[in-house]
Amino acid sequence: MITIKGLTKTIESTTLLNNVNLDLSPGRILGVIGPSGNGKTTLLMCLCGLLPFEKGSITVGDRTLRAEESESRSETLWMFRKKSGIVFQHLHLFPHLTVLGNITEAPVQVNGTPKAEAEREARALLEKLGIDQHRNKFPEELSGGEQQRVAILRALAMNPEVLLLDEPTSALDPMRSDDVRNLLKEFAATGHTVVIVSHSVRFLSGFADQLAFMGRSEIIEMNDTKELLENPRDERTREFLRRSGLN
Amino acid sequence: MICSLLVINSLSAVAQPVLRWGGDPSGGAPYVFADPANPQSYTGFDYEFAEALARQMGMQARFVPTDWESIVASLHRKEFEVIIDGFEPTEDRAREVLFSKPYYLFRLQLTARKSDSRIKSLEDCKKLGIPVGTLVNCAASRLLESEGYKSVGYQDPVGAYQDLELGRVDAVLMDVAGEMFYARQNPKLKPVGEPFHTGAYVVGIRKADKQLLARVNVAIDSLANNGTTEKIFKKWQLWNDEQLTLRTSKPAEIKVTGTKLNWSEGLIKLSKAALVTILIAFGAMAIAVVFGIPLALGQSNGGKIISALCTVYIEFFRGTPVLVQLLFLYFGLPVIGITLPGWLTAVIGLGLNYAAYESQIYRTAFQSVPARQWHVAYSLGMRPVQAFRRIIFPQAFRVALPPMTNDFVALFKDTSTAFAIAVWELATAYRELANATQSYLGIGLVVCCYYLAMSLPLAHYAHRLERKLQRKSTGIISSGADK
Repeated sequence: MITIKGLTKTIESTTLLNNVNLDLSPGRILGVIGPSGNGKTTLLMCLCGLLPFEKGSITVGDRTLRAEESESRSETLWMFRKKSGIVFQHLHLFPHLTVLGNITEAPVQVNGTPKAEAEREARALLEKLGIDQHRNKFPEELSGGEQQRVAILRALAMNPEVLLLDEPTSALDPMRSDDVRNLLKEFAATGHTVVIVSHSVRFLSGFADQLAFMGRSEIIEMNDTKELLENPRDERTREFLRRSGLN
Repeated sequence: MICSLLVINSLSAVAQPVLRWGGDPSGGAPYVFADPANPQSYTGFDYEFAEALARQMGMQARFVPTDWESIVASLHRKEFEVIIDGFEPTEDRAREVLFSKPYYLFRLQLTARKSDSRIKSLEDCKKLGIPVGTLVNCAASRLLESEGYKSVGYQDPVGAYQDLELGRVDAVLMDVAGEMFYARQNPKLKPVGEPFHTGAYVVGIRKADKQLLARVNVAIDSLANNGTTEKIFKKWQLWNDEQLTLRTSKPAEIKVTGTKLNWSEGLIKLSKAALVTILIAFGAMAIAVVFGIPLALGQSNGGKIISALCTVYIEFFRGTPVLVQLLFLYFGLPVIGITLPGWLTAVIGLGLNYAAYESQIYRTAFQSVPARQWHVAYSLGMRPVQAFRRIIFPQAFRVALPPMTNDFVALFKDTSTAFAIAVWELATAYRELANATQSYLGIGLVVCCYYLAMSLPLAHYAHRLERKLQRKSTGIISSGADK
């Protein structure tokens, strides 16, 4: 579950997010669309507690982060960060660790999970995505698609309430592969939430339950995927969808 | 008018044959040294004697400043024709050069601190196990060595007597001439016992120049008999009646002093020196590796003032020669009351110097790790210390390792600068042994082998470690910035 209230973020008098409000129930997959440079990635960074903001609050599950806590290195912030996992556009796997190391590092170091147990869990996930044979390789030895799967598993291994994905289709195709999509759907179906930022409306249309259209640092419109694509209410949404070749 | 005089003057200078003579003016008082009243020119009793000698031979003296330890080598390289610098006839030198008749008979004087009541004679030093400071490769050092004294070799008398004053050594043995000039006036020092052990100063000449030797000997006799020598040494308060024995046409018996290189003992000596080099290198590197960390942090995250101070420190140590830094620490710090022994000065000095370099390696290494690596670590719930230790540091370490290895090998070689502050390490041992035996090539090759034996395993081990880390992935997957 995600609730965002009056979220405002500025950098040097440039407003990146302007009074953003959002409500997302558990078990849903939200796609965020919109032209680039309109705050989509900024929203994700705020959502996972990596970017401080000036006004408003974000609630993920049972943790709320207020603007004044978003800057400090407070306990609230650390606890808040554990609520969500993020997969960056360029993945940023740990180059000095193996696939297994990438996935088990945080559970072992942060949660104190015994190494053997963490590895068992990691291998179950790796098998599900069909890359268990690569577990002892280093990230650079993997293909782009395999790297992306490892990055997703690294985030999921911490058992977050929310999974955030930034432009997962930008480089490659793996998000279209069934096992990855099934994994995310399964994750959502067990009461979690997924937020995907993507410029590919076509990809999201077949995957997300809801779509939010962002323009000019605001959420202009948010609705069920089918409804938003078929009956966009705002002129700007219609314009964007027209340009994307949909609708 | 003045112009024409100058021209005539210089013409006559060209017409007169020149006698080039070599001596070491650094710390060379009262033999030959830069005249404090007129630092552009030189003075000293050997300087005046050389002038008189040349005049007597109908030549014009031209002084060629050189380094004491390599003075014989320089003579052979024909940088000058004669050595006049308190030069003593020794057995090893006899193989390399011709000696003239003696022009002065010298004695040795032991000096101690006034407050030190333990030392009443040179023998006391042996009994008490006190090392005796002296100049390298001189009559006193050979005497000490042949009679089994522990000794500390100095490049010049200033350093020796300063260390005596500061308590780095407890006794110094030197020619009376040097002792008169550097120690007699010092209220903190006292001569111990009477001067002893007569030796002679002679002029050194290349073996091939037999004719020159004959002319020099004639001139020395004339100067002794016509009182010129007496006038010069009286002026420097070094005259005594013993010198009159030189006036007889028969020269006094010259006792040739000397030691021969015993190779197995030489190797033991070099090995001991190599051990000192290793200790200095490891000590200095430990300081550099540790102290580089606060420097790097201070420079990049320290706020304006701390950052500026760190930058000043780094640029100072990178921008000035390490040799000057060592001299500064060794001779400069005692002025403000901090007196460190030579080896510690070398460890600290080289450590502080290399810390400046290490800090820059750290900085580049950490800058090479993308900021997103921190973000990922934080998003997984890691605290800053955890993220640094587990994620950032291992990546930066891989980048830092090769240049750090380079520095360590370079540091090994830079330990040789410690010879300047009387640390007895490998380079010092080389100069000592090579000068004593005139075998620069043979001993030099052995010393090079010692250095290689130290640096090659180091380079090899570092290379293996690098390869091991390389196998653990080479690069950062994607350093591209996210939108």
